Amino acid sequence: MTRYGGMGRTRPKKLTSKASIPVVREDQIDLIDDEVQSAIQQVETGVEKAEESEVHLQAAISAAALGKVSEANIPTPETVLSLIRYDELYPPNFSQPATYIRFSSTVEDCCGCAYHMVEEDNVFLKIMNQKRDASIQCTVDQFEEVMNFFEETAQLRQPFAAVDNPPALSYSEMEESFDVVVEDSVKRFAKDIYEHWKSRRIKNDNHPLQPALKFETGQETDDGDPYVCFRRREVRQIRKTRGRDAQSAEKLRRLRKELEDARQLVALVRQRELARKEMLGIERQIFLQRSEVKEMKRKLGVKDDDEDLINQKPKKKPVEVPMFQRPVVPQLRIPQRQAAEDLQLLEDVQAEKENEILRDIKQNLAKHVKWNEGYVDITMAPLTPSPKKTTYAGFRPAITTQLPTPPSSDSSGNANDSSSEGGLRNFADRYDSPVVEMDDDARKIPSFRRRIGRGGRIMIDRRNLTYHCKMEIDPLKLDRFKYDHDDVDDDLVFERDQYDIQIMQHRASMTVKAREQVALAREQAVQAHAQAQAQAQAQAQVQIQRRLQFDHATASASLGTGQTMGSNPGVGAMTASPVT
Amino acid sequence: MAVRESHQETSGTPDPIERGFATLNTLRIGVKAMVEKDGELRKAEILSMKQRKDTPSFYVHYVDFNKRLDEWIPASRIDLSQEVEWPFPEKNEKNRKEKTATTNNKAQGKNQAQKRARADSRDISSTPDLLTGKNINVSKAQRPSKAGGKENREDETPVNSSFIGSEAASVAGTPRPEFEDVDMVDAGYSDSKDMKDEENGMEMSREEEIEKLRTGGSMTQNPIEIHRVRNLNRLQMGKHEMEPWYFSPYPEFFSDVDLVFIDEFCLSYFDDKNCFERHRAKCTLVHPPGNEIYRDDYISFFEVDGRRQRTWCRNLCLLSKLFLDHKTLYYDVDPFLFYCMCTRDETGCHLVGYFSKEKDSAEGYNLACILTLPQFQRRGFGRLLISFSYELSKREGKLGSPEKPLSDLGLLSYRQYWREVLVELLMQEGRESVSEYELAMYTSMTEKDVHETLLVLNMLRYHKGNWIIVLTDAVIDLHNKRLEKEKIKGIRKIDPARLQWKPPVFTASSRTWNW
Repeated sequence: MTRYGGMGRTRPKKLTSKASIPVVREDQIDLIDDEVQSAIQQVETGVEKAEESEVHLQAAISAAALGKVSEANIPTPETVLSLIRYDELYPPNFSQPATYIRFSSTVEDCCGCAYHMVEEDNVFLKIMNQKRDASIQCTVDQFEEVMNFFEETAQLRQPFAAVDNPPALSYSEMEESFDVVVEDSVKRFAKDIYEHWKSRRIKNDNHPLQPALKFETGQETDDGDPYVCFRRREVRQIRKTRGRDAQSAEKLRRLRKELEDARQLVALVRQRELARKEMLGIERQIFLQRSEVKEMKRKLGVKDDDEDLINQKPKKKPVEVPMFQRPVVPQLRIPQRQAAEDLQLLEDVQAEKENEILRDIKQNLAKHVKWNEGYVDITMAPLTPSPKKTTYAGFRPAITTQLPTPPSSDSSGNANDSSSEGGLRNFADRYDSPVVEMDDDARKIPSFRRRIGRGGRIMIDRRNLTYHCKMEIDPLKLDRFKYDHDDVDDDLVFERDQYDIQIMQHRASMTVKAREQVALAREQAVQAHAQAQAQAQAQAQVQIQRRLQFDHATASASLGTGQTMGSNPGVGAMTASPVT
Repeated sequence: MAVRESHQETSGTPDPIERGFATLNTLRIGVKAMVEKDGELRKAEILSMKQRKDTPSFYVHYVDFNKRLDEWIPASRIDLSQEVEWPFPEKNEKNRKEKTATTNNKAQGKNQAQKRARADSRDISSTPDLLTGKNINVSKAQRPSKAGGKENREDETPVNSSFIGSEAASVAGTPRPEFEDVDMVDAGYSDSKDMKDEENGMEMSREEEIEKLRTGGSMTQNPIEIHRVRNLNRLQMGKHEMEPWYFSPYPEFFSDVDLVFIDEFCLSYFDDKNCFERHRAKCTLVHPPGNEIYRDDYISFFEVDGRRQRTWCRNLCLLSKLFLDHKTLYYDVDPFLFYCMCTRDETGCHLVGYFSKEKDSAEGYNLACILTLPQFQRRGFGRLLISFSYELSKREGKLGSPEKPLSDLGLLSYRQYWREVLVELLMQEGRESVSEYELAMYTSMTEKDVHETLLVLNMLRYHKGNWIIVLTDAVIDLHNKRLEKEKIKGIRKIDPARLQWKPPVFTASSRTWNW
């Protein structure tokens, strides 16, 4: 009682299906309250209530509950091996296809003639054949065909024979049913076999000779008759509403319209074909008449080509559309884009290839390094460095070749379009001379590149320009003017106020000094005369230096114009900044 | 027996069972006598009688035995030295007559009259002695009805007694309010022949049954349709001969034939050996007429559409009805797919078993009927069939359960399968906890089936305020035994990789019956 009360207090929690339940072995838990368990264990078997109490089932269930499944045995009637000649009836000629079987023929398709002979038929057929010549014996198959024909015809003519018991069909009625489908053999033997069929049929209350299932006949007895089976399952009635009516009317209307359209189409096709036929006829006629003309001409001795015989269509004048009049926009756009895409693709492919090669080389290098790990490398440079083209990317050597015409505007447009580095590279690649493998000499060729900086400024980067100059001058001389070069550029100009007191004072003092110096000079004039010779020499030297500087300046200026010519003549903001 | 008790409560008058001694001549249908069965005496009910060469034989149903063990016995096996139980009286007969008279008097219009006629015709046909014509049954007419006293008792199986009980109850209160309602329902139906009659509880339940059949797509047998006497004597199929277990609506005169031949491939039926042999000479079918959807080195599965292969599927249903009590052939095979398991040899693919499945199950059933042909039973084929039905459900991404009621054999097979599958999952390494939902998802079993299986196996327990799943020693023992057996005999399993199948899709119209 206390137990029960205890159970009442701890009524089991509700178990939800998603709740995770721990799984334990029996020895992992203490003994549990059986009463609680048995209270839970009311489980439906799903077996019909009336049968649940059956002795064998109960025995089996309790055996299973005790874990003795093998003892759960429900007796069933025995099956025994049949004495039938199985091998003859079921010939072993099945070969399994490699793939899964797909099959849709029905039983009727596979079973041939639906009528099967019984012993009685055998006897009759034997007697019938004895009476006949050897040449027109009725085979078993033919006999079955005939019987089947009778059965089918009877079924067709008297579908309710099972209900209203009409007399057996007469032979004349059978004959009426002969049609194209009926084989000749059937017609040939039908008359002889008819009486046999009729007698059997009468014996059978004019019911079908072959055993048939009982289907619903629409009679009241159907429901209670356990032999009536496979009733038609009624389709659930669809409620009749105005909407549904309209729907189906609409459907019909549409169907009709579609059918009419189809008919119209066919009619038009017919019309077209008729017209075509007519045209062919006329053409032929024309040809014939022309050949007559030809014949006539030949007779009359008129010399002519065969032109008469063929249709001479006036050649269409090629329409000359001036370039600028072409409707540019819609037509050009698409091909242009396509071309651009193509170009992109090509470039991608090239880049890809290049990257691949580079990657390969890098990998190989890495591999080499790995192989050589722990070894001392005493060779000079065992590994070829990867091409350093990247550092020169975009630069092209300035080889002064005269272009006969300025480059087409297309390229410049293209270059303008592509504001990105990639576009420039593209441009560079296209106009690059194929000299990529630059030897030391080539590297020293002055080269340049154009790039677009912030705000769309176009910049020309130059390189190696100075070397270019040095190349032509004797290194010794060059050394001599090493520092002169800068003077020109770095001409310091000091801003000064002309009327600044300090400066004026300074100037005044300077003039005083000058006067004094003049006086002094006069004193020394006689002595100075001797030095005049040396002074003249120094002046000459300055002049030489100046001339050289001038040369230099013109050279760089001409180079600069060359650059502008080569790139874009119409660029406004341009800065030339030397790059080292 | 609960049913009968309730019946007695409703009728209010507990009917004492009338006992008495009988002679061979007074034995009649419905009498329960002690019959010798396998060396012991068992109470058995006489369901039918026939005279053969002047010696009567009796068709008996042993109480609390499955109907498949019903059999024809000679009179010598009936122990007449003990008292027999007389059947309940046909109480209702008198009432019925009265009633008919009153309605006729009223003569209320055509509709009603029609129904009356129908009611009467069914009264005749639905009595349990339909085989009268064939078996010289002692039918209703011969029954000493209304004789009062002892003989006014009929003690039938619970199913039937419940019907009679409710009928009796309804008769007691004759002017029933339902009467008019039912009439209205009747008028609402397009097909009035489907309409059941009106008056009483029995008719109502029958009507409900049929309505259930019609809308539910069920293959369950309507109790009243149960034909209580097996109609075929013996069956020849393939290499085997066997006894049928239950009634099946093969052509009526097959019950006169000793041996019915079934073609192993097209399942056609013949009462004549000549016919059968002629048929075999012509028949070219060597496997079920559908698409093979599964093949391993042991078995193949074919999917056959009831609508496309009407004849074959009807043949199959007729055949399986011989071994399935709770199957109805009331409606046609169109709304079902048949999954047929075959073994292969050089003669073809031999049907071993099958299960049917509704194309669209409103109740979420993944299987309607399942049968291993008796000549192949007790070899593990049933488990393969069940397993395959769950593989299909897995492919569909659905949980499924077999349609109820289960047969005794079906229940045992399913419980075994469920146990094995669940225990295998629970025994997996490192499984510490699991929910019923997860178990259902792994197995495609419904959560209800999972839950009930755990309960039946006494594995789901309430322990110290928490639910736990206990792997009992018994269950582990069985599991290990199975593993050992599989080691020796090899595992027969459905390999999902070999299943070439997509869940077929049907439109509403293609599921229903039409040409």
